[in-house]
Amino acid sequence: MKKTFWIITAIAVIFGAALLGCLNIFRKPRVNNVYIRSGGELIYTIDLSEAEDCEFDITYNGGVNTIEIKDHMIHVKEADCPDGICIKTGWIGGEKSTAPIVCLPNRLVIEPSNETSDGRTR
Amino acid sequence: MKKSALLFCISLVTLLCGCGKRSEYAQKDLFAMDTYMTMTAYGENAEAALDKVCAEITRLESLFSVTDINSDIGRINSSCGQPVNISDDTADVISRSVKLCGQTGGALDITVYPLVREWGFTTGKYAVPEENRINELLGLTGCFNISISGNEVTIPENCQLDLGSVAKGFTGDKAADILRNEGISSAILNLGGNVCTIGEKTDGTPWRVAVTDPFSPSETICTLYVRDRSVITSGNYQRYFISEDGKKYCHIIDPETGYPVDNGLAAVTVIGDSGTYCDGLSTALFVMGEEKAISFWKEHRDFEMLIICEDGRIIITESLSENTEFTVDTLRQKAEVIN
Repeated sequence: MKKTFWIITAIAVIFGAALLGCLNIFRKPRVNNVYIRSGGELIYTIDLSEAEDCEFDITYNGGVNTIEIKDHMIHVKEADCPDGICIKTGWIGGEKSTAPIVCLPNRLVIEPSNETSDGRTR
Repeated sequence: MKKSALLFCISLVTLLCGCGKRSEYAQKDLFAMDTYMTMTAYGENAEAALDKVCAEITRLESLFSVTDINSDIGRINSSCGQPVNISDDTADVISRSVKLCGQTGGALDITVYPLVREWGFTTGKYAVPEENRINELLGLTGCFNISISGNEVTIPENCQLDLGSVAKGFTGDKAADILRNEGISSAILNLGGNVCTIGEKTDGTPWRVAVTDPFSPSETICTLYVRDRSVITSGNYQRYFISEDGKKYCHIIDPETGYPVDNGLAAVTVIGDSGTYCDGLSTALFVMGEEKAISFWKEHRDFEMLIICEDGRIIITESLSENTEFTVDTLRQKAEVIN
């Protein structure tokens, strides 16, 4: 009886582990989370699927970026940096969007969690 | 019996957990060379190796910075025509840039800095200069103005150098050397869009390098699979301004005309063994335009190339095509493969 119990337990553990492995392999990358870093420090982790529409400022060494979240997507709406590359990069949050938004002068990085590549050339 | 069954279960769980364990690795990121850099290295010595890489990047930045008057480049630019003694690394980059300038018929030119400034790309105060002013500044440019002998360099008064088109590629090469010397055989460096790969991933598969879609910069147009290669792009979609008359001007200046490049190309990606060569070439090929870039590749064939045109056409070299996954299948069908 005890032997049967342990055999069943062992089989359950094997199948459980295999199931977890499969779920991990087939999980589709989604831009649910975005990580916002300012001056190299992680300051926000935002779950876009839960986020309400809003606007907020991030300030670093006097430089300001205005971030907008709308319809579960995020972008830099306004910035006082000279080149405005962060604004031009556009929105993160769609199925295809994977590139980070970077504002060099204000040391701001907004990274999506679904980057499936190891590197990015631009 | 009970004990042995318990031990069996513990061993099994430990084994399964062990299967999912990743190799030892380290990650670093830093803002340097006017860009954001991220680095990942695998191996026992990864943390210490990346610390050395960060120190090297900071050192090279202090030599190459065009805005630091005490850097090698800063001292050359304020030398008023007098010879300047510079470091081995700066001398090496300048020599290689001058060589590549010759190879590309002047398409790569590290002396266009006065024009880049005049257009406002260094300050953000963008303006379309008067034609007379452009012609005046064009008279100060040209790599033939650079006289270099050993560690001594001389340029005419008012001529100015900027290594922006080659410095990150060179830095990637130096960083890769450090990592290999430290025994790292698997690493990837993202130096602000310039990607340098060392070896392959720890699972034996190639690195996946995404190419940003120039028409939608938050998206990926294709993914390249590479091992031990540098992947570097020049494009018109990141740094540009729109003038009052609605015309778009990108930050890459054509050394022949003094105007921002406007030849129908949106981006050029170059893949090769040397980061310095790839970096310089991506700018040069972007300046050359479609026809000359293809001719240059056919003549040299020591790199791979992906060209994305403003009209959406894609031109890709054959070997690269075999290692590229397009985000949308129709793009592969549309791509023109050259061999």
